Amino acid sequence: MRRAAALVACLLLPLTAACGGDGGGTDSDEVVTVEITVEGDTVSPNGDRIQVGVGQPVDLVVTADAPGVIGVHVDGPEQTYDYDAGTNEPIQLQFDRPGVVPVERHSPDLTIVSLQVQ
Amino acid sequence: MSTGGDLSAHGLGGVQDLPISLNLAIGGAVAALLVSFTVLAVAWRRPRYDARRGGRAVPGVQRLVEHPAFVIGLRVVGMVVFLYTVFVSVFGVDKVLNPFFGIFYVWLWVGIVPMSLLFGPFWKAISPVRTINLLFARLAGTDPDEGVRAYPARLGYWPAALGLYAFVWLELVYPFMSELSPVRLWCAIYVAVMLLGGAVWGSGFYERADPFEVYSTLVGRLSIWGYRDDGTLVVRSPLANLDGVVVAPGLVGVVGVLFGSTGFDSFGESPTWVRYLQGSSVNGYLLNNIALAVFCLGAIALFSLACMLTGVAGASGPEPVPEPDPDSDAEQRDDVRSRRTPRWLAARAGLPNAFAHSIVPIVVGYIVAHYLTYFIEVGSNTIALASDPLSNGSNILGTADFPRIAWLSYHPTLLANLKVGAVVVGHVVAAVASHDRALKLLPRRHQLLGQLPLLIVMVGFTGGGLLLLFSS
Repeated sequence: MRRAAALVACLLLPLTAACGGDGGGTDSDEVVTVEITVEGDTVSPNGDRIQVGVGQPVDLVVTADAPGVIGVHVDGPEQTYDYDAGTNEPIQLQFDRPGVVPVERHSPDLTIVSLQVQ
Repeated sequence: MSTGGDLSAHGLGGVQDLPISLNLAIGGAVAALLVSFTVLAVAWRRPRYDARRGGRAVPGVQRLVEHPAFVIGLRVVGMVVFLYTVFVSVFGVDKVLNPFFGIFYVWLWVGIVPMSLLFGPFWKAISPVRTINLLFARLAGTDPDEGVRAYPARLGYWPAALGLYAFVWLELVYPFMSELSPVRLWCAIYVAVMLLGGAVWGSGFYERADPFEVYSTLVGRLSIWGYRDDGTLVVRSPLANLDGVVVAPGLVGVVGVLFGSTGFDSFGESPTWVRYLQGSSVNGYLLNNIALAVFCLGAIALFSLACMLTGVAGASGPEPVPEPDPDSDAEQRDDVRSRRTPRWLAARAGLPNAFAHSIVPIVVGYIVAHYLTYFIEVGSNTIALASDPLSNGSNILGTADFPRIAWLSYHPTLLANLKVGAVVVGHVVAAVASHDRALKLLPRRHQLLGQLPLLIVMVGFTGGGLLLLFSS
């Protein structure tokens, strides 16, 4: 029993150590602008994933046909931002924590974009 | 739902984990599985695990955990947390600031896994529904273990599978999972069904039908704590302990729901599915319902099929029926079934449940991979929230400033390694467990070939599971 466990452990160690790790993080000060259009119950982008760097400024520019609310899932309870019909002032965001941050239009909920912070 | 203010009722989770890089992981995991199977086939020719015997006795620990003060102490802890939860669910605010959500979704649903891994059948020891059943019986002067009727053995674990499905549906599909009144209703129905079941069938009902107890006891079989048949508490390897999972109808349903729903959870977050859902003219709620059912039923069906695609007739005669569950009429039932169903099927019908225990380590692996950061972060945050039950700024426990622990998210490479490691360890442990069971159950000449379909399905599960973890 003990021998078998050791065997399994040997098999596993190099594998787990070898996987993972990733490049591709862009630590830049350049502002990432995401143009968001909301018309009725359709949103654009429609659930896409966008990569941004840790600490990189992100501007969400919402153009909508009616007022509404956008929610951003960061630490703790979701933060929400109101927008009006027409083109709005940019919502300025910045993330210091790696992870995937969903940006949603509320009621009915639609995922507009997921910001992949890394 | 949206208030237009600063905080809304939504978003229990916060930031999700980064997808892990795909490069070596899938290949590595599949290779690990294939290599371990080959090594097992060559070096592991006789079954090694027998949960009825073996292990090192720990009389000191046994005296402690069986001491009335210890048993009652745990029950009191369970009841205090339960009553607190009832209180905040009734009087608390309808926002995720209410500690109710963290207690239910994180402390209970996710926390049950580490607690059971460390301490064994944890929920059974603190279960408030068991405690209430016990108190009722004490008041009425009856035996809490005895109900009005005997629990029908044919039902087995199916009620628990159904209960688990109801939970994952609430958590993953139901659109208002973070609003107070529907979740409170769910809990009320759970408690009502459990109390009713306990009254009718006695406390044995909880061993088969309480979704949280069945889940906890299954995961607890991967702890080091076990009982021999003679009632001695022993410490032994989790693999030897896992052999003691009580086989009964519906076990494959329980592990299938646990495994399938975890897969669906990853799948549901993937951009591909989100885009499809939002671009489709079909109602997204309906599509999510269908997808959850497909994942759970698919997992059950694939696993059952793989277990049954084996030869069972051998020189030593067919003996595929698993060891009978001591407190069920399994043998008698198989007799009845063999009269109705074709012989080839009847001979194999017991196999999926007999092998189902081997899925438990896989489930635990995926739960670790999927919920590790969520558990630490939202779990720690709930400690802070619990100090303010009515969300009015009070600090009754003095833990209002307990930090929200997000350290792991700042170390994405370590996190990715932990996740892949958990999945691979889970799958390899599963391969060992199912190989050992195959040696016990299958006739010698089918022991190796008979495992191949299961191996293929396991490789598929590994690859698919990792792919989902990476893509979402």
